[in-house]
Amino acid sequence: MILVVAEQREGKLNRASWEAIAAAQQPGGELKVAVTGSGVSDVAAELAAAEASEVIVVDALALADYTADGYVTALAVLIEQERPAQVFFAHTYQTRDFAPALAARLGRALITDVTAIRNEASGTVYVRPVFQGKLNADVTAAGPAPHLITIQIGAYRADAARRGASAAPIRNAGIAVDASAIRQKPEAPFKEAKQAVDLSQAERIVAVGRGIKGQEHLKLVEDLARAMGAEIAASRPICDAGWLPMDRQIGSSGQTVAPKLYVALGISGAIQHLVGMKGARTIVAINKDPEAPIFEIADFGITGDLFEVVPAMIAELNK
Amino acid sequence: MARETLEVDALIVGGGPAGMSAALRLAQLQKAKGGEPLAIAVLEKAREAGAHMLSGAMLDPSALKELVPDFKERGAPLGSEVHHEHVYFLTRTGKIPFPITPPPLQNHGNYIISLSRFVKWMAGLVEAEGVDMFAGFPASEVLYDGDRVTGVRTRDQGIDKHGAKKSTFEPGVDIRAKVTILCDGVRGNLTKALVRRLALDAGRQPQLYAIGIKELWEVPKDRVKPGTVIHTLGYPLRMEEFGGAFLYAMADGLVSFGLVTGLDYRDPMFDPHQAFQHLKQHPAFSSILQGGQMVRYGAKALPEGGWHTIPRVYADGVLIAGDAGGFVNSMRLKGIHLAMRTGMLAADTAFEAIRAGDTSAARLRQYEERINASDVRRELYPVRNVHQSFSYGLLPGLMYSGLSLVTGGWWMKDPMPAHAGYERMAQLADYYGETRPDVDAPVRPAKIDRQLTFDKLTNVHYSGTRHPEDQPSHLIVHDTNICSTRCRAEYGNPCTRFCPANVYEMVDAGNGTKKLQINASNCVHCKTCDIMDPYQVIDWVPPEGGGGPQYEGM
Amino acid sequence: MKIAVCIKQVVTREWQLRVSEAKTWIRDQDASFELNEPDAYALEEALRLKEKHGGEVVVVSAGPARATQVLREALARGADRAIHVEADALAAADAFVVADALAGAIRDEGFDLVLTGLQSDDQGFGQVGVVLAEKLGMPHATIIMEVQADPSTGSGQAGLRVKRELEGGWFQWMTLPLPALLTIQSGINQLRYATLKGIMAAKKKEIRKVAPAGSATPAQNIAAVYFPEKGKKTQMLAGSPAEAAKALIQKLRDEARVIGH
Repeated sequence: MILVVAEQREGKLNRASWEAIAAAQQPGGELKVAVTGSGVSDVAAELAAAEASEVIVVDALALADYTADGYVTALAVLIEQERPAQVFFAHTYQTRDFAPALAARLGRALITDVTAIRNEASGTVYVRPVFQGKLNADVTAAGPAPHLITIQIGAYRADAARRGASAAPIRNAGIAVDASAIRQKPEAPFKEAKQAVDLSQAERIVAVGRGIKGQEHLKLVEDLARAMGAEIAASRPICDAGWLPMDRQIGSSGQTVAPKLYVALGISGAIQHLVGMKGARTIVAINKDPEAPIFEIADFGITGDLFEVVPAMIAELNK
Repeated sequence: MARETLEVDALIVGGGPAGMSAALRLAQLQKAKGGEPLAIAVLEKAREAGAHMLSGAMLDPSALKELVPDFKERGAPLGSEVHHEHVYFLTRTGKIPFPITPPPLQNHGNYIISLSRFVKWMAGLVEAEGVDMFAGFPASEVLYDGDRVTGVRTRDQGIDKHGAKKSTFEPGVDIRAKVTILCDGVRGNLTKALVRRLALDAGRQPQLYAIGIKELWEVPKDRVKPGTVIHTLGYPLRMEEFGGAFLYAMADGLVSFGLVTGLDYRDPMFDPHQAFQHLKQHPAFSSILQGGQMVRYGAKALPEGGWHTIPRVYADGVLIAGDAGGFVNSMRLKGIHLAMRTGMLAADTAFEAIRAGDTSAARLRQYEERINASDVRRELYPVRNVHQSFSYGLLPGLMYSGLSLVTGGWWMKDPMPAHAGYERMAQLADYYGETRPDVDAPVRPAKIDRQLTFDKLTNVHYSGTRHPEDQPSHLIVHDTNICSTRCRAEYGNPCTRFCPANVYEMVDAGNGTKKLQINASNCVHCKTCDIMDPYQVIDWVPPEGGGGPQYEGM
Repeated sequence: MKIAVCIKQVVTREWQLRVSEAKTWIRDQDASFELNEPDAYALEEALRLKEKHGGEVVVVSAGPARATQVLREALARGADRAIHVEADALAAADAFVVADALAGAIRDEGFDLVLTGLQSDDQGFGQVGVVLAEKLGMPHATIIMEVQADPSTGSGQAGLRVKRELEGGWFQWMTLPLPALLTIQSGINQLRYATLKGIMAAKKKEIRKVAPAGSATPAQNIAAVYFPEKGKKTQMLAGSPAEAAKALIQKLRDEARVIGH
């Protein structure tokens, strides 16, 4: 049995949990989904749509706000109770905060940032990036089950998670958590514009290169980004020219990104740029030069003048 | 601003083979002769010893044997000994073997090495002797007391691209030394300033340079036997261009491959990097490289002028050694052993001078006497006119080079008249006449397939070059107006071609004109721009400490 | 405040990776190495805390002999002393083994605070810090963007107030009692430059070498490392700009499902 630990914050399910469910459904065995918190019945009901044998709720007042101590204590008990073969998590910041402590407390393997899973005769092989994604590693877990696995965000498709014919039963695990044993005292989360734009978190990016020719044409790019719900980024020459700030630069001397969608406009695809974005799931390249190296890594390519293609795209998106 | 000061006895600027040999020799002398312990410091601009080292490289072990007699036991990374040698003249598609390997190109007993790795190894020996190794600290200027050199100032760190101090600003330190040994390499920024200020080149010929572009390849192991050395003349260079190619095969299918071109070519449209791509497509080399993988790229200028171009290498409180002084045998294509040797001789001189309490020019002159009495002169003097002779073309050059073996280098005019290389570059109108070429496109484009041939930007990636972005450009162009006006008209912006790292670009200025854009963080510290710019308005100064290429294995 | 900073030596980012003969790790005999970048921020934060509150900064690394390089560098930047848990096998060990080796060296020192970088540039587990906290019985917080060392926590013990980064531009302050462990996010501070004086002073500072005392066995094994293959084929969309744009948007919506309707 695979146990997926879903993630919620303030009663809102993290979409990446569906990706972890999709990964856990792949081998076709039994699946249970757990969710932790306080007063999370709505989230549990949402998760019950998944094709799973049950949804387990770990509900305790002490879990109302996320803390590593609270989650480790609660999930250690749950895993002891359920004895799954594997426990899947989405590789979120929250998971990264508690999963290693949970694994250490249980004395069980934790394999992080997994992008693919292969079930081979000799056992399960997990694929994870090493050396900042320059290499992949095939990893096997050692020691007794359960093995804890975190799934890289975007590696599996949330919409590929199978839904059940009827809602899965919801059960409260009845696990108590002693609030006084929690050493971290969290305050309310708040939103803050970071000084630097963190494009690594962007879902969609429209990036522009030399083909844009002049700063005055950037408006066209902004319009496309708005229509797509994307952040704007650029290749090096654009930032060097001061047309966009340095923190929008993608590549070896800028940021490394892995969005779901990366649209490269008038970017030739110098290797310095490619190393910063080739981890994007879907890459679109629009360039005049059919020989441009960007096309080698693109999923979809249009050979053409961006000044003609982009307005047509905006029109199409706004239809 | 209060600057810290550091007092040492001997300061070595530049941690290459010359600097490391000087440091090691000083430490050895101190150990052998006793007395007050000397404070010895080495400054190196690279983040790590060896990281900016690039050479063929073929090592004549003569100096090493003397400096570190037990070098084998101490694990010197010497690579393969030379076993098979070939010299060819390349035509466009063919190769004509030289009937015999010319004596200067005979390499038996020499080793194919990675200079980067070799210098890193030397740094270990130097540090083990208690010498202070300061890696990541470029020197920005020479300190004087009158005309006496009293040390150097390290570069200020933490200045943003507009010249303002960042919160992490760290002022440079004044390092005062009784003797400063400048080993800052080819066209070293300190040596350049010192030679000008004290006119140390008076009565000497202008230095002649070449640019070496090199790639390290991993090829299938059965392609070429380790220890194989190939030198070629001819294609892709023309009769009017001085230079040649080399391929050195090491163990495990590792191949060191490069093209050296004299920086005294006439054609302003000539692009050494482009020529290198053509070279790789020649069957003589593509047959070896095809199917392999390029793993490293780099470029560096080298001084090739020889004996008559070596400046006075001593002054009050200062000595110059290695490539900084021009100690390279361009006929044998070797300079590492001369760098080591001059570093050792400089150390000998400095040690005695410090002990005698007299580090004046009169005393330090002994360095020159030592050089004259050493193998350095015995090796360099007979070939003193070689590169100069090639300014008459390849064939006259070859004839002279052959004759010089008989005449001991004597010629009707000795020294043979010479001009600085950049002065030989012809203006477009003179070279191309009526039909002015498109200066924004290559005249002889090479097909770039990113397997065998690469564009400059891709190559730069493989040089491992890194510079913190938020710092002033370390390439100072004193008059950028010239670029868009005179230079564009007269030479067609040759910097965009001779720079092997895509640092210089002419971009649209918006009103139908072009302006210069400097991509300083691409710079591989080869110094070609400082040397070859026809107007001599480019000054290469060191960037923030640690910036530059990462030539591991080169 | 007595602070330990756990640092790792990794191959330089510029180094062209090559896979070893056995294909289970990289060929690193001829590589050049540097301090793992996130760890440099952890070290800087420790030095700033020491400058503010006094105390001692001790750098600890679990790695082969060559790791001395980064310990020396940390000493040059201002750390007071170093502990090197030395074993060749630690060069590519898993998070449990590394954390165990570090815990053995740290446990009896009585540190108030242990800092690590968020994750390493090579293995990228993002586990060692948190596992170490669990082994040391310390509370922890990760992805830290600011550290305030003064306030008392609810329990009345001396504690920390730290700012955690959450996803999507969200942050959160949290307090925790000392001793504690924090994993530091890159960019939390501006790294200082090395100085000549610092390098000279570092030569006189202690690097204590210890053998790994722990007995942890690896929880994961690498069966193979390899370069990711480009598994996809480029679909070129032809036609007029309007036709190509239309086809593209349709494919992004229905095939790739990366934009909404």
